[in-house]
Amino acid sequence: MDRRSFLGYNAAAAAIPLSGAGLAGLSDAAAAATRPAPVDFKSNLPASGQFPDKWICGSSSCMDNTDPPVQVHWYNAHTAILRQNKAYSYEAPFAPLYFGNDRVLLLDEGFVQLRNDWDQRGVVDQCIEDWCRRNGRDPASMELLVAFTHLHADHYAAANQFADRPNTRCMGLTHEEMVGFWGMTEFPEERVTLDLGGRDILIWGSPGHVVSEFAYYDSYTQILFTGDMFYRGRCYISFWQPWFDSMKRLIDFCDTHPVTHVMGCHVEISKDGQDYAYGMTYQPDEAPVQMTVQQLREAYAYAQTVTEPGIYFTGTVFLCNQTRGTTTIDQNPYRYS
Amino acid sequence: MLTNHSGGNSVAEKLACSPASSGHPWDGPKRWYPNGNLALGYNPPGVRNTDSALPLHPSEPVIHDYACDGPAPGNLAFRWTYGSNVAAKNRDPRVQVVQYNEDTFVLRQNVCVHWEAPFTYLLFGNAGALLIDTGATANARHYPLRETVDAIITRWGQARGRRKVPLTVALTSGEDVAQNQGLVQFAGRPDTTLVPKPLEVMKRFYGLESHWPSGTGAIDLGDRVIEVIPTPGAHKDGVSFYDPYCDLLFTGDLLFPGKINIGNDRDFTASLERLEAFAGSRPVKWILGGHIEMMFVPGRYYPRFATYKPYERVLEMEPALIGEAIRYAREVQGKDMMLIRPDFVLFNGVSPDQRTRVWPEGVPYFSPPRPF
Repeated sequence: MDRRSFLGYNAAAAAIPLSGAGLAGLSDAAAAATRPAPVDFKSNLPASGQFPDKWICGSSSCMDNTDPPVQVHWYNAHTAILRQNKAYSYEAPFAPLYFGNDRVLLLDEGFVQLRNDWDQRGVVDQCIEDWCRRNGRDPASMELLVAFTHLHADHYAAANQFADRPNTRCMGLTHEEMVGFWGMTEFPEERVTLDLGGRDILIWGSPGHVVSEFAYYDSYTQILFTGDMFYRGRCYISFWQPWFDSMKRLIDFCDTHPVTHVMGCHVEISKDGQDYAYGMTYQPDEAPVQMTVQQLREAYAYAQTVTEPGIYFTGTVFLCNQTRGTTTIDQNPYRYS
Repeated sequence: MLTNHSGGNSVAEKLACSPASSGHPWDGPKRWYPNGNLALGYNPPGVRNTDSALPLHPSEPVIHDYACDGPAPGNLAFRWTYGSNVAAKNRDPRVQVVQYNEDTFVLRQNVCVHWEAPFTYLLFGNAGALLIDTGATANARHYPLRETVDAIITRWGQARGRRKVPLTVALTSGEDVAQNQGLVQFAGRPDTTLVPKPLEVMKRFYGLESHWPSGTGAIDLGDRVIEVIPTPGAHKDGVSFYDPYCDLLFTGDLLFPGKINIGNDRDFTASLERLEAFAGSRPVKWILGGHIEMMFVPGRYYPRFATYKPYERVLEMEPALIGEAIRYAREVQGKDMMLIRPDFVLFNGVSPDQRTRVWPEGVPYFSPPRPF
């Protein structure tokens, strides 16, 4: 199967001719009889869901933190959002887990490598098991896609924990493999549709923060997941023009598609717009991760006025235009004259 | 395992370190003696400063002899705790205690309690004890500084046959939240003097109202008089302390192996110049600062908020580093810039997270392996 056909490949449908070929034993027949009707991901859209009022956000003393390594929040019955604990890594990325009838899509694997440090794979396996129990599925029958938004270690570091997991496909760690994984040949303009089994995820390129980045739109919750190129904090823009073009693509998409929330991978800002400096392990008053389409439009409008490298605040996010290697927002509080 | 900390009393120790070297105590031209130096004899003068264990039940308080030729023997021979990859799972002590010698203790806050991981110093004399700095965390459950200090004082008092040991708590800077947070833990402690935090009151306490910053103050611990040197520059209320027993200079945020954020560049240069003049008139074995942020490879440092620092440089700095600091403080004076040196980095008028692509000439560039 080539990369292109796997996007639309429906594993459950392909399995039926096999069991129907006279090989079906009693147990197969029983399983088929008890297999519940597929979840309908195409009606009553957008599927409602809730973000938590407050995510885990670290603690003043890291070694006294008693939160789990990752918070699992069920946005709705078929969508989980994972947030890493700041006391386990200051990056504390957010990672959605989308369930379809045949496949599960994990977007981003968090900033941990060894299962000895903490067990990201165990958390994901538990989520899949919980979902399957609720929906009468066999976890072994669900294919897991381990993908990520972009090629930075805080988003793929745990991918290797899944390398020996059965029924799993892992995105490769090169630009070529990433683009190829989604069957694209016209990155970044090309938009592809990933079928999770009745639940479509739209994917297209979103370079600017890094070259190798995607935007993901879930047609069920209608959440637009913008990775690190647009999130509630410091958008480190390495390449201005590609980033600006990617913003334009996001705006165009919002013009033609319903979007409930825009969601990025991190939060680095407080509710009242204060910057949480890079590396902080405690964000007691952090802003919500979800943003509105209006906030995205405002940021785009603001970006149209930006002509120079520098740090700009759009009211929602900081645009750090080519400043990452040189300067930051905060000041020495002890300066005096 | 060999150790190249030969203690403070060896002749080799007194050879000046070349300013061109990294300033690292075991770097430079001097010879080191992993198996001891027979030429120094078996009974060097320093031995008489280490005699307090003999009486089992001392009938009266032991009067320790703080007079000594050269620095009192002492050593920082243990590795500092360096946090862990997953800070939440760290199980190191919250306050690490290292005994420099029987009358001098170095305490360090666990970097997984607070990323600043400040150093705190506890010095004893025949009439009392001095705690220099108090750490970055007020909450005693997270950072039991008071409990730790009380335990050391009790133990020391038992060895010296003393029931009461008056304690003075002083800060290298009253405004520095990386050093003043633990002060509240000592509020209401009996037999305790807290040096007041506000600058004007603090000057009065040290008797420096009329000659700040040119004068010096003193804290008498009983045969061990700690000198107080005004050193504003990193903080406007910065002071340094000099211990004539161990010949140590405690410089807080003014000079330490890390990212030095200059508060006022004119004061900073002037304070370093005064410190150099002071150090020229007294023997100085080591400078001990308030933090470590440098790695053991020259010019490389850990970012702010790091909770895992396995490649830290050692704490101690050679006195020759004051001269180097002055030279480069003059270079950044009046300019908004950062400047990398092998043993420290100066930040003047820029963000504490400023980066630069300028690398100091003649300094080799090493990249230690990334632990993760």
